[in-house]
Amino acid sequence: MEFFVISVLNGVVHGLLLFMVSAGLTLIFGMMGVLNFAHAWFYMIGAYIGFTCTRTIGFWPGLIAAPIIVGACGVLIERFMLRRVHRFGHAHELLLTFGLAFIIEEVIKLFYGDFPVNYAMPLYMKFAAFTLYEIDYPFYRLFMGGVAIVIFAVLYLLLTRTRVGLIVRAATHRPSMVEALGHNLPVVFMGVFAVGAGLAGLAGAVAGAFFPTGPNMGVDFGTLVFVVVVVGGLGSLEGALLASLLIGLFMSFSVGFDGSLADLLGLVGLSDWAHEVGGLLTLQLSTIAASTPFLLMLLVLLFRPAGLLGDRQ
Amino acid sequence: MRKLLSALALAGAGCLLAGEAMAEPVKLAIIESLSGGQAAVGKMFLTAVNYGLIKLNNEKAWPDGFKLLEYDNQGGASEASDKVKAAINDGADIIIQGASSAIGGQITGDVLKHNLRNPGKEVIYLNVGAEAMEFTGPKCHFYHFRWNGNAEIRLRAMLLAMNDANALGKRVYVIGQNYSWGRDVQRLVHEYASFGGYTVVGDIIHDVNKIQDFAPYVAKIKEAAPDTVITGNWSSDLLLLMKAAGDAGLKVRFASYWLDQPGNIANAGATALGHYNVSSFNAEANGEATAAFADDFKAKTGQYPVFVQGHTVHGIWGLGEALRTLKLGPDGRLSVKQLAFAMEKVRFDTSMGEIAMRAEDHQALLPLVVSVVSKDAKYKVDGTDMGFKPVRLISGKEAAGPVQPSCNMERPPAS
Repeated sequence: MEFFVISVLNGVVHGLLLFMVSAGLTLIFGMMGVLNFAHAWFYMIGAYIGFTCTRTIGFWPGLIAAPIIVGACGVLIERFMLRRVHRFGHAHELLLTFGLAFIIEEVIKLFYGDFPVNYAMPLYMKFAAFTLYEIDYPFYRLFMGGVAIVIFAVLYLLLTRTRVGLIVRAATHRPSMVEALGHNLPVVFMGVFAVGAGLAGLAGAVAGAFFPTGPNMGVDFGTLVFVVVVVGGLGSLEGALLASLLIGLFMSFSVGFDGSLADLLGLVGLSDWAHEVGGLLTLQLSTIAASTPFLLMLLVLLFRPAGLLGDRQ
Repeated sequence: MRKLLSALALAGAGCLLAGEAMAEPVKLAIIESLSGGQAAVGKMFLTAVNYGLIKLNNEKAWPDGFKLLEYDNQGGASEASDKVKAAINDGADIIIQGASSAIGGQITGDVLKHNLRNPGKEVIYLNVGAEAMEFTGPKCHFYHFRWNGNAEIRLRAMLLAMNDANALGKRVYVIGQNYSWGRDVQRLVHEYASFGGYTVVGDIIHDVNKIQDFAPYVAKIKEAAPDTVITGNWSSDLLLLMKAAGDAGLKVRFASYWLDQPGNIANAGATALGHYNVSSFNAEANGEATAAFADDFKAKTGQYPVFVQGHTVHGIWGLGEALRTLKLGPDGRLSVKQLAFAMEKVRFDTSMGEIAMRAEDHQALLPLVVSVVSKDAKYKVDGTDMGFKPVRLISGKEAAGPVQPSCNMERPPAS
């Protein structure tokens, strides 16, 4: 029981954090079809901005500055780089963002060094929210989960209840018609990219205070963010939330699960044989806990390629 | 006339070439992670090797000097393999590498194959960082020399020192990464239970540098209620584990091998206090001697030696000791085979104590220091008010484990 409750708690919060980082990518990928490989690196920029602001103007101004600055970077990238390769297709956009990722990482290393920096939350936020089964649960994790939920709510309302959201959604399905109706399509796309990037920056500023902020941040989150978007379905915000929660719970539960395929075969009496064969059959699920998201992605792509809640695109 | 001129020209060129052949510096190739995730560590090895070469050049350990070639293995084993080929093509006599046992495993295999196929043109693999047991076990070979510790030596030193300080307790948990090094640590912690006087109450193996959220692991550790958690984790795995433990209010002592990596203490903050670490050098460990080494290192490189740099420098000095006993071969070049024979007998004094190379498995018996993170340390790290205060200096002989029976080293004839 204890294991179940703690795993659910950890899984949900970790999933919400993943959602916070990938919400922007869902928007960009879904609405514009741009494979933004550098999304996790926007997250990294946000974290470093948060770090710099904490040391100069304060933690909370940092949380406001990070999305604005990263959003501005997004605007510049979209306007001067992505727009030029748009006509060559999605592969070129991916290559561009791939190169951007490297450049961002090296530039950050140039200014901040090769080692992780000490980006920490203010001391008054460093306490245990509650104690469950004698383990303290840090308040900051709940704060991160809260921020993720707020982001989801704001995005959802923006997309479904405002005129801007209406135009953005229409531009996804019928771009030429929207343009014919007189809306400025390039500006719409630029706005979407900026909001997506800004969200990644905010996620970085918030999560960077909890996780180590260092040059490897982009690499750590890079592939996981794509998994979330693929599993959730392109363009589906609810799908991204569902996928993040699933992945978070999967990872959390598999950590505590020491079973392997051999144990499963033990149900039909083949346990000894399986243990003799060894190798893949005796691989415990807990040792590959971090790879379970990719297993999930494989399953989803096999059985439901559009993603869990995606449209057929 | 033209024939005379061309003959003279050729003769002149021949003289120049002949002159070149007589002046052959020893070529060292450092194949390290100079880009990518482990770049910071790779660069530390490079700095240490350069510092070590200063002494060798000053004392003229080799009359024609040394040439250091740098190769970036980009943190991957297959890239490292390509760079080994490139280094050998460029004439390298010695290949140096340290960051990552996975890459070291690739390099040692490639060097062995090359030496088998090219007798007379052997290269030596100077291992200054790969600590998995296999290098002096099933993968040992005559041209591999390990100048750093290994999982067993470090564990022995840690257990001796922590038991001395009554810090180990009776219940030990081990958590590690799922590759050669992590699995070695796990196996050894189980094997050394009676030596250290503890019971292993649980163990975890997890993916390398993929886990962001260690809270579930901390929950598992909490359930087992250990006194000490031994972990071979490094880089973000170690940092995240410690932070998660600190956040959860887990009252446990960490015994780590790589806590002194720059950036760790700054990032962990006060959570790091009271945890133990075993390393190959500490400026405070042996009074005047180690302080002098640290100051000289700082004078020449700009910072105190940290992390892996102590034993890397000693490894290069070990190379110097071996070269000192050699004479030029008949073709004026260094005989790598003779160098290997000389290196396996090396024994010299350093500021930390005596280092001796063990001929049976080419593992250096080096002194280690176990320290605790404390505000009382003399040398602070990472710009914080904390440092590593030495608890006990363990000599090479005390720390040394037995030769592994799986090491069957084939020795070439001592021609």
